[in-house]
Amino acid sequence: MSRTIAMDSYLLADADSVVARARQGDETALEALYRAFEVPVYNLARRICRTTEDAEDVLQETFFEVCRSIRSYREEGSLWGWIRTIAASKALMRLRRNKYRETDELHEEVVGRRKDDTHLRMDLEAALERLPEVSRAVVWLHDVEGYTHDEIAGMMGRTPSFSKSQLARAHARLRRWLGEEAIV
Amino acid sequence: MSHLSVETLVALRDPGTEPGEAAAREHLEACPLCRAEFERLHQRVARLKALPALRPSRERWPSVLNQLRAERQRRRFRTGGLAGLAAAASVALALGVSSLRPKDTGLDLAEIQQAMARSQVLESALDRIDPESRVMDGQTAGIAQELEDRIARVDRELEMTELMEQQARDAELLRLWRERVGLLDALVDVHVTHASNVGL
Repeated sequence: MSRTIAMDSYLLADADSVVARARQGDETALEALYRAFEVPVYNLARRICRTTEDAEDVLQETFFEVCRSIRSYREEGSLWGWIRTIAASKALMRLRRNKYRETDELHEEVVGRRKDDTHLRMDLEAALERLPEVSRAVVWLHDVEGYTHDEIAGMMGRTPSFSKSQLARAHARLRRWLGEEAIV
Repeated sequence: MSHLSVETLVALRDPGTEPGEAAAREHLEACPLCRAEFERLHQRVARLKALPALRPSRERWPSVLNQLRAERQRRRFRTGGLAGLAAAASVALALGVSSLRPKDTGLDLAEIQQAMARSQVLESALDRIDPESRVMDGQTAGIAQELEDRIARVDRELEMTELMEQQARDAELLRLWRERVGLLDALVDVHVTHASNVGL
């Protein structure tokens, strides 16, 4: 929570006044919100969605929702926390709509099995991109954005155990693809 | 004890959530290989957090603004239309609905009045729900949008009945007010169901 509150003042110095004006429907204030949070929202969407087009659509859907719902933002948490949850929900919804790949087995069918996986050395960006969408979403939401497994499960409509197992599988893969030594 | 699995190491970062955590921590303290693996895990996560921010290649604010303005316009039209219809309905009711009185159609005047009254009750219910202030998922928002669009179409048709012949108008009024009630009923249902699903 404190990290997201710090993000508010870092991204938008006069957040209180901008939000107050945005609630009145002031388009300049709404645009200021967009400008302040455009990059973190897009970044989150892009890390979850399969394509840049999907991520840009999520960016648009998120801010449309922010603009029409700003009156319901209660300032109990951080502004970024509120916007981020809308963005994460929109991105996960898009994954669902696009019939995402959620299992490693299916992923293997899609990308093909590679016997030399253990010798691959990818950079982290490429390895992250190669993960199945759901695993990647869980890694990003848990490890980078700081959501708990319970929160991720709630957003995905799954159980916390599902989230935990996706995270562990993702790390096992990342470790292998990044050429890090594995424990026997 | 054998070395810790990736699953266990990943779980150890969220303290107090896993059974057997104490034994796993004990092993971690004593095993340099597992400690090294745990450190690599932390480093990997730190590198993930340090990845450069990705930026959209296209400007999306104009599209957001257009979408917002279109919605406001729809809402204004709907509210304006409703105010006009409500006023017309009040006058008609005050005058005993003389202008709506079915002549040779066999229609029951009370049916039109009932539909109008029901419509007003549903409008009030909708105002109390205040759907504009709630965050909806895409599917719910889509359904609500579709219903609002259809209500707006019915409102336009209701206004057009002024141009119709008396006899045809009475029948059309009854049909449209009933349709309006049905759509409003569905819209209230959508919002009530959504509110109960999200625990509001």
